[in-house]
Amino acid sequence: MGKLGRTDIFEAVFWLLIAIIFFAFSFNFNQPIEIYKFGATGWPRVILFLMALVALGNFYQAYSKGSEAQEGRVGAKENDDPIEYTSTGQYFKTGMILILPLLYGLSLKPVGFYSGTPIFIALIMIAWGERRVRFILTNTILIYAILIGLFMLVLNAPLPQGNMSPFYDISAFMLKTKTQLDQMF
Amino acid sequence: MIENFLAGSATLFGDPFTIGIFIFGVLGGMLFGAIPGVSMLTLAAILLPFTADLSPAQGVMLFAVIYCTGTYGGAITAILFNIPGAPENAPTAFDGYPMTQKGMAGKAVGAAVLCSAIGGVASALVMMSATEPLAQWAIMNIGPPEIFALVFFGLAVASSVGGRTIWKGWLSVLLGLLIATIGQDPVGGINRFNFGYSDLAAGIAFVPAILGFFAVSEIFIQAEKNVSGKYSAPKFNVDFPSFLELWAHKIAVVRSIFVGFFCGILPGIGATLAAFMGYGEAVRWSKNKSEFGTGKLEGVISSETANNAATGAAMIPLLALGLPGGALTAMMVAVFQMHDLEPGPLVFYNSPELIWIVFAAMFYANLSILFVGLIETKTILYLLKIPFQFLAPMILMLASIGAYISRGLVLDVIVMFIAGIIGFLLRRSGYSIPGIVLGLILGKIGEQNFAQGMQMVHYDLGTYFSRPICTILIVAGVLTLLKSLHSAFFQKSKAT
Repeated sequence: MGKLGRTDIFEAVFWLLIAIIFFAFSFNFNQPIEIYKFGATGWPRVILFLMALVALGNFYQAYSKGSEAQEGRVGAKENDDPIEYTSTGQYFKTGMILILPLLYGLSLKPVGFYSGTPIFIALIMIAWGERRVRFILTNTILIYAILIGLFMLVLNAPLPQGNMSPFYDISAFMLKTKTQLDQMF
Repeated sequence: MIENFLAGSATLFGDPFTIGIFIFGVLGGMLFGAIPGVSMLTLAAILLPFTADLSPAQGVMLFAVIYCTGTYGGAITAILFNIPGAPENAPTAFDGYPMTQKGMAGKAVGAAVLCSAIGGVASALVMMSATEPLAQWAIMNIGPPEIFALVFFGLAVASSVGGRTIWKGWLSVLLGLLIATIGQDPVGGINRFNFGYSDLAAGIAFVPAILGFFAVSEIFIQAEKNVSGKYSAPKFNVDFPSFLELWAHKIAVVRSIFVGFFCGILPGIGATLAAFMGYGEAVRWSKNKSEFGTGKLEGVISSETANNAATGAAMIPLLALGLPGGALTAMMVAVFQMHDLEPGPLVFYNSPELIWIVFAAMFYANLSILFVGLIETKTILYLLKIPFQFLAPMILMLASIGAYISRGLVLDVIVMFIAGIIGFLLRRSGYSIPGIVLGLILGKIGEQNFAQGMQMVHYDLGTYFSRPICTILIVAGVLTLLKSLHSAFFQKSKAT
């Protein structure tokens, strides 16, 4: 197995799978373009071919020299001190770090920015290890107030309102209050 | 030229409202550039509808000023948090962030302030004196084959920095290029890789992807360290670099001005490629290549000089040819169109006062970077003292708003978080995030110009290579790739 690690095999499979899957999907738009000889598939297929080729090169490098940084690489300082995962709890914590923001993004359409944001801010602090209730509450309110103050009141930026009751009603209430404030001043 | 410049200055400073817009642009660009999670593009997207109420000169001037100061502002977050405010600040983080970790944030930010100002002012001066002849030269000598060749060379340079191995650098660039193919193809308008989602027909927008890969992935990495008890706050320091330290890098500054200006003048290329090329050239000519990426002042200097040198140059194709060089200059085209104007050669004859107000404003905006920037920097360094538990959710929220505002699509927020997860996993494995982003930005430009170039030369590669600039750039790109390949096979890894 040379100097191959489990991650190296996973990486090679990952890149080759991307190349194969996208190549398969490229047949969906494999139509000729009258004014262009290479058509809509030419450019992406060259990229996919190169990706597969370079993935094999990456695999060979890992096989022959291991997955350590190549000498003289500039800006390759990432992961100098990698975090070792020793328990399921650690995987769970990292999973939460990654998934929570995505869930927030997915909830923006039904829940909207105005209702979903304070809940998300508090949840993310908890997921990232903060346990002081007063800290969570005060910082959630502070961050929310800064965002509302800057984007809603000062810059008048349009933010997602949600389309589900009662969240939509909360957004409508906030926007109505903002309009009333504008009229007052 | 001097009379026109003085006339532009008089118009700019003769009206209090115009002065107010100028100051707003200077401070807004610096502030939005320096707040992690949002960027000058966020501010520009918010302000775009309001420019309808301004005169054309005020509207275009506002965006030009934001472009200059925002390009500098993005360096602050790159240096302090490893979150480039814009793609053009990505190479700044290579050495800027390690400097912060070593307690040299003040030196890095001070160098960024000074070099951004120098690069910007030099570029503005050349722009004022030579826009028309340079535009003529560009029309005569630069066509799709040359732009494709420069994209190729730029990607070859980008793949050689950032990744843990050359293979990972290339895979990063190729992933960016692949993401750029999502959406309509630039020749026939055929939908590609939309997987049945109509929202994907317009492609993956730059802003959410960039925010995800840079800002969100960095927050995830710091959060992972935080929950594992390995997080250490960046060291606070306000010591600026001395004159001698900066003088020692004068050649890097001059080289980066040339590189930045050349990249900026080419339509569609802009400041991002300029910063990568400026950084790449600094590495290429350095006697201590291995020190780059570990906190070398020259890395910050070369990247920041080049990207600001490109801002003035990017106005040349915009104003003279009507071709934007990046996202912000594309918004300037929208400002022109809102006032029933079209940027292009006729603007010089029909609206010379507009041109000279913009030129004068850009010159003064770059000067303001020096004076306002030095004061702002001392304050902004205190961001390092804000606890991570407060700063991180704030950055994520600002990034969410920044991603949403540009197109008003929730999909963009989702794309940003997915890009953040992918970025987090790839960075852990030693892939290059700047490489992905550069591939993403240049992918469509490269494909479009390749297709147009091929049609121009009737698919005859001989004709393609008969164009000297095109040949030089392609040969330089191939040599860069071959050199990387040679080092991949014949160089030892750090562990062996």
